Amino acid sequence: MRYSFFKGCFLPVRLPHIEKVSVNVLGELGVELKETQGFSCCPEPVGFLSTDRLTGMAIAARNISLAEEEGLDILTLCNGCTYSLRHVNHTLKADEEAREKVNEVLSATDHQFRGTVDVKHFASVLMDDIGLHHITGKVEKPLEGLTVAGHTGCHIVSPPEIMAFDDPFDPQVLDKMVSVLGSEPADFDLKTLCCGWTLTNYGDKSGSDKLLGAKLEAMHRAGSDCISVICPQCFYQFDMGQLLASRRLGLEFSVPVLFYLQLLGLAMGYSLEDIGLKRHRTKSSGFEEKILEVLG
Amino acid sequence: MVILVNYDADDNLSVVEASEICLKCGVCCVVKGHSCHAQLDGQFDPKHTYVYDCLGMDSPSENPNIWLCVSCHKCEELCPYDVSPIRFIESMKAEAFENGRAHPVIFGEVANIVSTGFAFPLTTSSRRQRQQLGLEPLDESAAEDLMKIAEITGLSEKIAQYRGEER
Ligand code: SF4
Ligand code: SF4
Repeated sequence: MRYSFFKGCFLPVRLPHIEKVSVNVLGELGVELKETQGFSCCPEPVGFLSTDRLTGMAIAARNISLAEEEGLDILTLCNGCTYSLRHVNHTLKADEEAREKVNEVLSATDHQFRGTVDVKHFASVLMDDIGLHHITGKVEKPLEGLTVAGHTGCHIVSPPEIMAFDDPFDPQVLDKMVSVLGSEPADFDLKTLCCGWTLTNYGDKSGSDKLLGAKLEAMHRAGSDCISVICPQCFYQFDMGQLLASRRLGLEFSVPVLFYLQLLGLAMGYSLEDIGLKRHRTKSSGFEEKILEVLG
Repeated sequence: MVILVNYDADDNLSVVEASEICLKCGVCCVVKGHSCHAQLDGQFDPKHTYVYDCLGMDSPSENPNIWLCVSCHKCEELCPYDVSPIRFIESMKAEAFENGRAHPVIFGEVANIVSTGFAFPLTTSSRRQRQQLGLEPLDESAAEDLMKIAEITGLSEKIAQYRGEER
């Protein structure tokens, strides 16, 4: 299984420890990640792709064309990257006029969009290409007794015709991925509520704090030991965002967050040090004690 | 009677026409936990929802609240009348950007992407962390192509204008 590895820009710049553990874990599952040279930001869907559509589509098309030149499908680690690249791939494959317009812009570079590859989020690769049964076989330390709140995020599910990942109003895939590790998916309220990243950046902080606080309280009430996410922005919001919001809101609890591939790494026998837990900002001694107990 | 208007995302006039069939039923914003996330910004309530705010202004592209939209498509999926507020809002963002009125954070982000290939400033600390972890250095080789793309689409000119105004 070989893919062109699209790291995006958030993960390699702000969360390199997650890039590292992701590459190691995927490698052990038989996924070979080719370091394609020349990738840029996807571009980011909310600020860029929706505001300067032609430039945004050309940048995404250029990224896709680099993988096309290597004859490889793209693997991403981020909901936003998957959204931008899949949207543009879908639009340009279907709409000849748009494809011609974008290729005309790209003629200033050495690249052209052809429409020959697919873009896949790592969670789709785990589900569809590797298969949960294969992951079960790799679990050395089942995370029994650990309750995990799976936050799927927004951009990986909508619109389903393009993203083809999960039901936007009743997401189940991440819970299945959590169950396969031996851990218990938390059944919590407000499951499809956004992490609040965009409101934090472009809106009123008190609104985004309220949103994050409500979501965290629902997760805490459901007995979650930790949160698991499949998107670096969601990760950052639940980690750094939680730290800042809980000071402002005076929250008396914390729910630490792990990127799904970190959780999978623990189940495969990685240590807390291997997954880089010390780099996380939202700490919980209760969680660390529990996970050490679970890991034996 | 509900009139459905066909439109494509870049066609502002027809997007505006489509928004005019909004019946203000509130479904897109008031279904707690399932509907619009921007509704939670703190300035909206069930009587004055985020979507009414965006659809109902005289000069919608000048409404600063358009930048709160997360592009999550929940409104599009929930609306029983095919209004698609997201397409209206994205269209207004495009119009605002075209006229140099984008949210400053967005202009900064766009300018960063075009000049470095990354949406965020590349700090010494992130370069050092990558080195400590034994990871490849950041790949900045896309910038040359992105600047060429931005020249052709006219984005470079907008960024230069924006920077001039900022000064
Ligand atoms: S796409 Fe924008 S307007 Fe629609 S529900 Fe999401 S945040 Fe609200
Ligand atoms: S956009 Fe649709 S769901 Fe929202 S208030 Fe208007 S008619 Fe109702």
